[in-house]
Amino acid sequence: MKQWVFFMVFILIMGISGLVFSREDQERLDPSAFETPRRPGAVFSHDGHNEKAGLSDNCALCHHVYENKQLVEGESSEDKTCSDCHGLKSGPENGIPLVRAFHARCRECHFDSGKGPVLCGQCHMKE
Amino acid sequence: MNAFIGFIMGPMVWISAMIFIFGLLIKFIFIIKEVREKEQYLLSYMTVRHSLRSICAWLIPFYPRSTRLRPVYYGVSYLFHILLFVLPVFLFSHIVLMDQSLNLSWPALHDGAADILTLAVILALVFFSLRRRLEPDVRFLTSVKDHLLILMVLLPFVTGFLAYHQVFLYEWMVIAHVLSGEFLLIIIPFSRFSHMITAPLTRAYTGSEFGHVRHAKDW
Ligand code: HEC
Ligand code: HEC
Ligand code: HEC
Ligand code: HEC
Ligand code: HEM
Repeated sequence: MKQWVFFMVFILIMGISGLVFSREDQERLDPSAFETPRRPGAVFSHDGHNEKAGLSDNCALCHHVYENKQLVEGESSEDKTCSDCHGLKSGPENGIPLVRAFHARCRECHFDSGKGPVLCGQCHMKE
Repeated sequence: MNAFIGFIMGPMVWISAMIFIFGLLIKFIFIIKEVREKEQYLLSYMTVRHSLRSICAWLIPFYPRSTRLRPVYYGVSYLFHILLFVLPVFLFSHIVLMDQSLNLSWPALHDGAADILTLAVILALVFFSLRRRLEPDVRFLTSVKDHLLILMVLLPFVTGFLAYHQVFLYEWMVIAHVLSGEFLLIIIPFSRFSHMITAPLTRAYTGSEFGHVRHAKDW
């Protein structure tokens, strides 16, 4: 019984501290391209991130251009959003639906480089 | 840290799923083999019809008489077993992970609904644990191991709930969640939880003895 009381008090204190120390405002990606977003927008401060990750001169890694399903080297598409090309539902004309495109691009690199967030809530941080 | 997370959310998921599936399969084969070698006569009066009849009767909520005699316990139990299967399989986060690794996806529960159902599972487990403490004849048959097994089921639900709400120690909560989920899958074939396959076998046997031999119902 005593252990249970200690355990419950511990959980309560941790819970309250989680609520009190709320997170500072962070730049987020806009999830509105997903008609009914189910998670808070992912935290991502574009320029700061790309500088730290050494991507400042590799814009085309994310802003890529494809022609007939072939990646076009040396060209980039900063003027477009990912959702201009990646539809929501997968299909023959849409090999990589939007969620998978984002997760593949962001999460996979974080696994490969051993740095950066990989769990749902590290990117989709509670607001 | 990412390498560790990558391992427990990658290969380890498949390892534990394989132990779960093949563990149960091998257990099933061994049981049938044992019966064939040692208790051949059982098979002589087992029939498919009476086996299925009994299994189906016991799957219908409140159809068997003994379940009607204890409606609260069996009501909670039915609900719990359905949710135990439905929640992890149709949970949105789990499907997103599945889609990411296998390009496979299927309709998901609404997050808000899943959240409430998760609480229902947690309450059901607390109920089972209390019943084992408070009801004298069940208490007599209960050992520490039974409470530990309840805890093993409880952990993935509690940690999943706390992780989803990002209340505290988020990273550690997900790690605890994934590990406790995998641990649960791994111990199923080696523990009382293997009643997943042995319970239908018991029903088949009892149903056949009652139906085929005694011409009676076992529900
Ligand atoms: C590396 C960062 C990252 C991680 C980890 C991550 N996501 Fe995402 N996710 C994104 C980005 C970026 C988008 C697209 C922009 C946005 O919605 O903020 C996105 C979009 C989504 C969307 C579609 C938009 C919406 O709100 O409906 C869902 C659903 C989603 N993620 C769920 C998950 C789940 C579940 C997990 C954990 C299994 C997860 N994500 C892990 C970065 C991440
Ligand atoms: C890690 C991936 C990544 C890299 C690398 C990257 N970007 Fe982006 N960028 C994004 C994402 C994601 C968005 C948001 C697009 C969306 O919402 O569909 C974006 C948006 C933009 C936008 C539109 C901004 C706005 O407010 O609408 C511009 C311009 C842009 N990026 C330029 C660049 C340039 C220039 C580089 C190279 C120095 C670069 N990006 C490198 C991921 C990246
Ligand atoms: C000009 C159109 C276009 C834009 C804009 C675009 N993509 Fe793509 N993307 C494609 C096409 C086409 C493919 C190939 C699909 C296939 O193979 O079926 C692709 C493939 C991918 C792939 C899988 C192949 C790979 O490179 O690993 C990822 C991940 C991806 N896109 C992410 C993104 C992200 C994130 C953005 C926004 C920052 C984005 N894309 C913007 C057209 C685009
Ligand atoms: C090519 C690799 C790569 C890609 C692609 C990438 N990241 Fe990262 N990301 C990193 C690295 C490396 C770090 C760690 C940077 C550091 O702190 O040194 C990082 C860190 C982060 C962080 C932690 C905060 C910060 O800015 O340092 C966030 C959030 C993040 N990434 C989000 C994203 C999102 C969202 C995307 C997709 C739009 C993305 N990343 C794509 C490599 C990548
Ligand atoms: C049988 C075992 C498992 C059960 C019963 C289970 C159940 C749950 C539950 C109930 C939730 C919270 C739902 C809510 O409150 O809304 C959850 C969330 C989650 N589960 Fe599981 N799970 C299991 C195994 C796993 C495994 C093996 C993984 C990883 C590969 C995993 C990954 C996740 C993730 C990432 C979340 C969401 C956390 C977040 O939103 O940040 N689960 N799970």
